[in-house]
Amino acid sequence: MVQVNHRTIPLLLARLVLTWVFISAGLPKVQDPLAFSVSIENYRVVGGSLALWAAIILPWLELIIGIGLLTPWLRRASACTMAALLSLFIGLHASAWFRGLDINCGCFGQSAGAAENPDYHWLILRNLALLILAVYVLRPSWGNKNTPQGSK
Amino acid sequence: MSMFREFILIALLTGLGTAYSLVSGLAPLPWAEPELAAGEIRVEDARALDVIWVDARSETAFTEAHAPGALFYDQADPVGSMANILEKWLQEPRTIVIYCSDENCGTSKKVAEALRANLPDAEIYSLKGGWSAWSR
Repeated sequence: MVQVNHRTIPLLLARLVLTWVFISAGLPKVQDPLAFSVSIENYRVVGGSLALWAAIILPWLELIIGIGLLTPWLRRASACTMAALLSLFIGLHASAWFRGLDINCGCFGQSAGAAENPDYHWLILRNLALLILAVYVLRPSWGNKNTPQGSK
Repeated sequence: MSMFREFILIALLTGLGTAYSLVSGLAPLPWAEPELAAGEIRVEDARALDVIWVDARSETAFTEAHAPGALFYDQADPVGSMANILEKWLQEPRTIVIYCSDENCGTSKKVAEALRANLPDAEIYSLKGGWSAWSR
């Protein structure tokens, strides 16, 4: 029996937003991991084959957790992974900003007219907002040891 | 399903997706040597030769760091830049290697084509991976 309360709609909207963002981010990068690996290298944290491995694995992870957030069987782990990834991205952007790097974010794949001067304020604030959404989605099911029986 | 099992399932599905990318050719094999296109040279091969380096990045990037003895290719002054390269090559004909910022920039290939038109006798390459490959 699906239980509907005052949090049902906001939670569903939050999940849909996160799903849309992560699938939009993952799909183009699955199709062109080489371009994404160049973006990863520009952060100057990892390079070479490690950056290529990250460029191959990360987009699939984004796709899986994007879809998983909408399923009862993977919802909690997907939200948890999203929160962890978003925290990582915020850290990377902050690090690049602090070191004065001019990078192509690579967030949604390589864009043709990639800005040489990325707007770090916008990147960090956007990811922060998404992180808040991920925590909001995660909280209701955090205490449950088993898969939630209905939407909350 | 417990949270641990959910993570395991996510990891398995991600692994399957990764395997698909590698097998289908969507992604290059990370352990394989990157393929060279015609007119490209790898950084380790270029370093083994005594080449004339040509830097096709921005002036800011060039000033910050560049290959030893590299000539700056000013895209705002292609005639003057070409003349500099020609002068250096005529003094001592050597292999010319042009680089731009990374794997995806196309400037080095365009400059290489223009150089080949002006110097048909010269050995001219663009650097695979660009400055990113050099500075690794």
